[in-house]
Amino acid sequence: MAELHKIIATVKDALGAGAGSNSHAAAASAVVPVAQSALRAEIASTFARELEEVDGKFLGMLTPAEVTNRIVALAGEIGAQTVALGQGIVSDMDAIGEALERADFRIVRTVPVADTERAAMHARVADAGLGIAEADFAIASTGTLAVVSSAQRPSSLTLLPPASLVIVQIDRVMANLAAVLAELGPGGVAANRLTLITGPSRTADIEKRIVLGVHGPKSLHVIVVWP
Amino acid sequence: MAEFPKARDFFESSRAAVGDHELRRKLESASARHLDHFAQVKAEFPPYDDERDAAHRIKTDAIAHLDELLIELTTKLEARGCKVFFAEDASQARDYIVELAKARGAKNVVKGKSMTTEEIDLNDALARAGIDAVETDLGEYIVQLRGERPSHIITPAIHLSKEDIGQLFSDKFGIAYTAEPEKLTAEARSRLRAIFLAADFGVTGVNFAIAETGTLIIVENEGNGRLSSTMPETFVAVMGIEKVIPRLQDLSHFLEILARTATGQKLTTYTSFITGPRREGELDGPGEMHVVILDNGRSSMLADPVLREALNCIRCGACLNVCPVYRRLGGHAYRSVYPGPIGSIVSPNLFGGAAGYLPFASTLCGACKDICPVKIDIPRILLHLRWKESTGEHPLKWPRAIERARRGARRFAQAARYPRTIRALGMLAAMVLKPFAHNGYLRRMPGPFGNWTKYRDFPRPRPHKRPPS
Repeated sequence: MAELHKIIATVKDALGAGAGSNSHAAAASAVVPVAQSALRAEIASTFARELEEVDGKFLGMLTPAEVTNRIVALAGEIGAQTVALGQGIVSDMDAIGEALERADFRIVRTVPVADTERAAMHARVADAGLGIAEADFAIASTGTLAVVSSAQRPSSLTLLPPASLVIVQIDRVMANLAAVLAELGPGGVAANRLTLITGPSRTADIEKRIVLGVHGPKSLHVIVVWP
Repeated sequence: MAEFPKARDFFESSRAAVGDHELRRKLESASARHLDHFAQVKAEFPPYDDERDAAHRIKTDAIAHLDELLIELTTKLEARGCKVFFAEDASQARDYIVELAKARGAKNVVKGKSMTTEEIDLNDALARAGIDAVETDLGEYIVQLRGERPSHIITPAIHLSKEDIGQLFSDKFGIAYTAEPEKLTAEARSRLRAIFLAADFGVTGVNFAIAETGTLIIVENEGNGRLSSTMPETFVAVMGIEKVIPRLQDLSHFLEILARTATGQKLTTYTSFITGPRREGELDGPGEMHVVILDNGRSSMLADPVLREALNCIRCGACLNVCPVYRRLGGHAYRSVYPGPIGSIVSPNLFGGAAGYLPFASTLCGACKDICPVKIDIPRILLHLRWKESTGEHPLKWPRAIERARRGARRFAQAARYPRTIRALGMLAAMVLKPFAHNGYLRRMPGPFGNWTKYRDFPRPRPHKRPPS
């Protein structure tokens, strides 16, 4: 046994610092780039199908440049006058905000607030016709978005406006819930509020008939970003 | 629940409910719709039964280590800035929350959907202190407007038709009558949104509490739980002691089955993971967060090795939808906030008194056990409670007809210890009753036996034949 550990340690050292699952994945993708991207596309299309099943709207797998144009177009389509957005994770939300401003939409940017400014900021976000957020992960098997909230990216963005747009990077679309929870880990989950969002707000409280948009957004639009 | 209703109330309300054909139509249609959805999602999810096994195992293990897990949870919650309060009974929990609301000068109290706060009768207690609490789940909002209690743990207004609700909104809000669910929902949304934006005190229940991280999980579809825990400055989460699970990695097993059985969804629309109050600079979440952990009779269930299993319940409501008794009576007849099969187990232990009758309101058909996502053997526990009741120090007082039937059954049980007596009685009955039978069945019998033949034919007793050896 001691030998085994010794060998593994030697191999690890030889591979260099930081040798872990990530660099293993990078190595694999270097060898079979086609298979890797095909797999991603398949997981993303499962996600798209499940999202539509829960009445979400899938706007496609788009390049970062296309994303901005699509968002400006969507804001027009749904007749939003004001758009609320926070910061992105990978996506450049500032650029998206500027593009929306050029197209004459009013912008509400969620920035860290003092306790006394909360109510006013909530009211402004609630008045926006569209809220934009970037998800930390997506879950293919259920069409779910996992969004971690923070001072720059408050959870109100996906809760208060009547329409919600969420963008997610393709490499963050996971197969199932267990995979996402494992990826976040206990530390990631405990650090900030996490919300799993599966479709627009819904109720079946009146004769078990589905009605959308009871408290949260009536419509949920999702873009998967493919760099 | 201050005082559980008298036995007479329970018998009267069940008699009335059985006669209510309109109620039965609503219950049947809602239950059938639910079971269709469930069958579909189950068929699309092959690991369903494996997940059930895992959930059963994790929960049983968690309940067996409840003391340690509660300590771990409390430590983590406090480390995250929550105030934790252990309430031995409903009144302690009520008093804590009411005093807190008073101390914070709460004016707009919003409530997410929560059975535990129904259990402790929080709204009435707040109202007595001059504080109005608004139920924000659409179904709860509707029953609150009617001055009623929820009749189902998942679908509180299951006993109402869309016309009933249209009439209610028209009467209460002075708007034009409509029975369209979309319009009624939009009306409720705009009214409740204004209340949310002004809310200063929020209360919700908890679906799961993760000991490892001190995270509370709230599962819902509408956004009432998100809003109630996001907007107000002060937030109180109320949970039973049995809600704790050990690790984050355990959670997916429960989430994969809870929505499927509860509503026929793969996952509910919103699952919130809340770990402590908001951090510096954050817009969302409370500045102050309290967690009320409630015993209220649960530890007495824990002390009984048979009853303990009922603490595995994750409150999905599926056992109500399949129960032939619930489907006839609806939730109100049970006179408990927890109706249906699981309610018949939980209620006597939480509320005592006349709820002791509820374990008898079951046919023991076993449909509840079959559908239970955490595999609770509900019929076995119901039988155990019946046994406890009939051998206990303070047996229930039954109405005279039922008391007679029970005496008869007891005599039969005594006679059945003597096979010869039974055989002789059988032979006698076969001889005496033969002339009255048609095609092997008795259609009418005299005296008290007529109560049976009023509803169904009785097979003619036949002389005993020894089984071939």
